[in-house]
Amino acid sequence: MTGIQLLLITSFAFVAIYYFVRLRNRILDVLLLFGLVGIALLFVLFPEWTVIIANRLGVGRGADLVFYTCIVAFWFVILKLYTKIRQLEQTTTELLRKDALKNAENLSEKKN
Amino acid sequence: MTPPSVFIIVPAYNEGAVLRSMVEQLLTMGYKVVVVDDGSAETQKNHLTGLPVWFIRHRKNLGQGAALQTGSFFAQKKGAHYIVHFDADGQHRAEDIPLLLTELANGADLVFGSRFSGNKTNKIPLLKRVVIFFARYVNFMFTGILLSDAHNGLRAMTADASTVLQLKENRMSHASEILFLAKKNQLKIKEVPVTILYTDYSKRKGQSVWNSFRIGFDLLLHKLFQ
Repeated sequence: MTGIQLLLITSFAFVAIYYFVRLRNRILDVLLLFGLVGIALLFVLFPEWTVIIANRLGVGRGADLVFYTCIVAFWFVILKLYTKIRQLEQTTTELLRKDALKNAENLSEKKN
Repeated sequence: MTPPSVFIIVPAYNEGAVLRSMVEQLLTMGYKVVVVDDGSAETQKNHLTGLPVWFIRHRKNLGQGAALQTGSFFAQKKGAHYIVHFDADGQHRAEDIPLLLTELANGADLVFGSRFSGNKTNKIPLLKRVVIFFARYVNFMFTGILLSDAHNGLRAMTADASTVLQLKENRMSHASEILFLAKKNQLKIKEVPVTILYTDYSKRKGQSVWNSFRIGFDLLLHKLFQ
């Protein structure tokens, strides 16, 4: 086993444990997580498999294929997070607005 | 005949003493004024003590779009017939408001002030003119509505129109969002020539040209995510 394999396997193990502890009650998420970690471990242990898939898809090296898919995955995650942020922003706005409207005041009491 | 009740929404963020004189002017014209303090560092109430205005304060800064929307909700609740958006930085003239209201009375749902239509003498900085030129066509691309001005903060609408013009964009891109919504709900839009005063204060408070890129980006995201 090479150094990089050791490094990657321990990192993945940590990620898996961390998420497993947090997601325990969400079976589907846990299964998905283990599926992904399993694939990752397989490719770390048998890197030549990525080369086979890469060649099928017209990419020269397996590492390049992994790199490209990662870029797509990261974009997906960024967009997911962005929609989440927008939702949060709307919730904050609604809360602050409700509070503001409740405390609306007329600065001179002469008019209604 | 009772005159229609007109609510002027003035979003204020860290304004100075200019705010008071501007609000006083609006009051003498017989309008109801709603100042929405958008989370200013120091409450804007201090500038307005004793004036018969409604004062609403966001505890945190949300952006001009959010402030206008809060004001609109409030005005709707108070039974406004017409709602006017009016910038607090002194770039708009209160005298122009009746021009907009006349169009509403003539059947328009939404009236924009325009600094280009008509032959009013507006001294618009060159760079600003270039940016607005492009902004008009960006708005046109997104909405199919080509106005003679873009992002003019002075606009008036009927209460009915304001209920469909619910702004979700908190920041400056609300000015384009309002167009999307108008188009979607097939509102009758009018433009009226108005004068924009480029005072030192309004220029300092106004948006920098670079902010237009931010607005463009927000617009794109708005289209993607709504």
